[in-house]
Parts: sequence; structure tokens; C-alpha cells
Amino acid sequence: MIALLLLGFAGIALIQIPSLVHKQWWWELIVFTIFWLSGLILSVLLSLGVKLPPVTTIIGNYISKIFSI
Amino acid sequence: MSLEEGRISRFQLIMLMVGFIFGTSMLVSPARSAGHDAWIANLIGIMEALLIAWIFSALADQFKDKTLIEINDLVFGRILGKGISLIFIWYLFHLSALVLSLFAHFFVTEIYFTTPKVVLLIVGVAVCASTVGRGIEVLGRCSLVLAPLAFLIITNDMVLAIPTMDIKNLLPILDIPVEKLLWAAHSAASFPYAETVAFIMIFAFLNNHKGRYAPVATAILIGGVSLTLAVTRNSLVLGPIESIFEYPTYMAVQMIDIGDILSRLEVVIAIFFLFTGFFKVSVLIYGTSLGLSQILKVRSYRPLIIPVSILMIIFALTNVGSNVELFAFIEEVFPIYTLPWQLGIPLVTLIVAKLRKLPQTGGEKV
Repeated sequence: MIALLLLGFAGIALIQIPSLVHKQWWWELIVFTIFWLSGLILSVLLSLGVKLPPVTTIIGNYISKIFSI
Repeated sequence: MSLEEGRISRFQLIMLMVGFIFGTSMLVSPARSAGHDAWIANLIGIMEALLIAWIFSALADQFKDKTLIEINDLVFGRILGKGISLIFIWYLFHLSALVLSLFAHFFVTEIYFTTPKVVLLIVGVAVCASTVGRGIEVLGRCSLVLAPLAFLIITNDMVLAIPTMDIKNLLPILDIPVEKLLWAAHSAASFPYAETVAFIMIFAFLNNHKGRYAPVATAILIGGVSLTLAVTRNSLVLGPIESIFEYPTYMAVQMIDIGDILSRLEVVIAIFFLFTGFFKVSVLIYGTSLGLSQILKVRSYRPLIIPVSILMIIFALTNVGSNVELFAFIEEVFPIYTLPWQLGIPLVTLIVAKLRKLPQTGGEKV
């Protein structure tokens, strides 16, 4: 599963990075890499079974408490 | 330099907005907490949404060729403006994750029982991301084909459901307390009608900068009346049992049986959900990618589309603990949660812009 994931992310990088390098869009490359890496890390964590915090549930509980819903 | 070279017409905007409004709202009937009076709550909700739309349309009219991100920079300055813009981008991102969660849940529980959610999400988001990558013009052209088709499906199902309707299911009218009716109306306004605030990222790319309120109001009215008819159809067909179903529209259409020949039409509704979900997710991916690109000052939003879409999929998979929590959030919390984005940010920005006499400062047009 993780191998498949890494393959997918490598494919995305192969599609995006060459055109950015060719245009010498270095800032765009940095921004893309940051988002791409965030996606990769979170996906790997998810596939390893790590439970990420349920943000909507947390926000929902917080608002429900404040407004006594 | 504008990040988007494409332009769409006012008619394309209307069609895009109608598709966006249909979005998930056919799945989770708007104002369903009002029971068989949902149609009344819907009509009130449309009026509330028209007021909210007037505010964000007025803001867009004030700064004709600017997205909200650029407007915030001008009105609040670079630092505060970027902070407010980031908060707005969060809304688009979070909304897209909620929409994706709803779609994944629908398809897994009703049609693709054994398919993992992640597969459905990857396939769906890939289509949306690919369209967004081709620019706003392609999205606008898609709307010309798919939105009327979606409208045709609604009308068709409405007519075919007539034999299964019972007018007594709507009686007694106004059987719920006023506060409950108003809450349901506000809930309908916030999900889906006032969600059209997301289009504040798109208004700048209209090929005609005449007043934005007319197309926005037209879209809300077309979408709103269609949804109200669908909600009424659901009540007429399902009656008191409507509230036990997660997807009343799907169930109501399932009841259609014309002479044992035309039956099991719910698949058509599933196709309809695909069309309208495509609009909603595409617009949200577009707004998020474009907004982030403008905040981060990159020269194109296209490199961000795929990473942002991946993050949306991850968020859609993890943002709620269970489906019960998802529906509870949408029905109970969402109407309050979205107020700062749908009303707060546009209203405050408009007031500050008026006070600072923007967009014209010192005789120079901004």
C-alpha cells in the first residue's frame, strides 16, 4: 500500500517538477514541494493507521459547547 | 499579472452557480429539520440568502477585477489582509472536505458497498482537478452542458413521482414552532444558498463587469426554487417517514414505479449527484488553489491544484469521527459556523472599504 502511495506521489512530482524547473519558477517549486510533502506525509501516516484528529468533530463540539446546541 | 487568463460569461456564471447550489443539497435536503414544512423554511432561507448575496455581490462590484484575496490586501493592508484571506481559504477547504465526505458516504452506503471511500474520492477529485487545471473557461463551458442536464433530471423525476404523491403529507401547514422554522430556514440559507460566497473568487473573471447581483440572485432563485420543489416532492412522497432517511431524495425517487416499466430510477439521481458534486468540488478546488497562489504570490495556481486536491481527500477521510457526527455538524453546527465567512468577512470588508473610500484613493484608481 505504501509502495503504491509513494509511486503515485512520485508520478505527481514527475509531472509537475520538470515544467517548473524548465521555467525556472523556483518559488513556485518550493511552494509546490511544501504542499506535496504535506500530502505525502499525511497520506503515509494515514496508510500506517495513524489516527489524525477529526477536525470537524472538534470544531463541532467546541461550537456546540459555546452556543449550548 | 492575473493568475487566470480565461473569462466566463454571466450566463455561464449562473449555470455554474446553479450546479454549485444543487451540489450536495439534493443529498441532504435543505431545511429537513422543519419536517413537512421544509418547503416554507426553504423559501424563507432563499430570502435570507438573497440578502447575504447582496452584500458579497456589492463587495465584488466595488472591486470589479479583484478576487477576495486582492480585495483584502487593499482594504486591510498586506499582513491583516493575508490573515483574513487565509481564514477565508480555510472555509473553502473545509467546505470541500465536507462535500467530499458526504459524497463518499452516499456512494459507499447506497451504491458501491464494498469500494473503499478513498478510491471514490481519488477518482472524483481527479476529474475535478483536471477540469480546474484547464481554467475557469472550461469549467464555465462544462456548466452549460451539465447544469441544464441536472435541471432536466430534477424536473423529470418530479413529474414521474406525481402518482406516488399524497397531498395530505403536507398537512397541517406550519405545524412547528416559529423558532424551529426560522432555524431550519437559516440552515437552508447557509447550506447551500449562501455558500455561493465562494464565487467571490470567480467574479473577477467575468467578461462583463456589470452588476454581479443579478446573475447571483438569478442563480439562487433558480437553484432555490428547484430545491424547494424537490424538498416538497420528498415530503409528498415519503410523508412522516422522510425524517428517518439519510437521503430522502434518493428514497423518494426509488418509490417511482410507472407500470412496472419505469422503476429503480434512483440511479439517475446518483448520476445527478455526480454532476452537481463535480461543480461544487471543482469551484472549491479552484477557489482554494487560486487563493493560496495569490496569498503566496506564485505565478500560476496550476502547480497547487494537485497537492491541494490531495490534502482535501485526506481531510475528507479524517475530518469527522463518524457519519452521525457529519450529519449532526451539517444540521446543527454549520449554520452558526459559517456565519463569519458567509456574512462576517464580506460585510466587514465592504464597510471598511466604504469608510476608506476604496477602491479609489487619492484620485488613483486601484
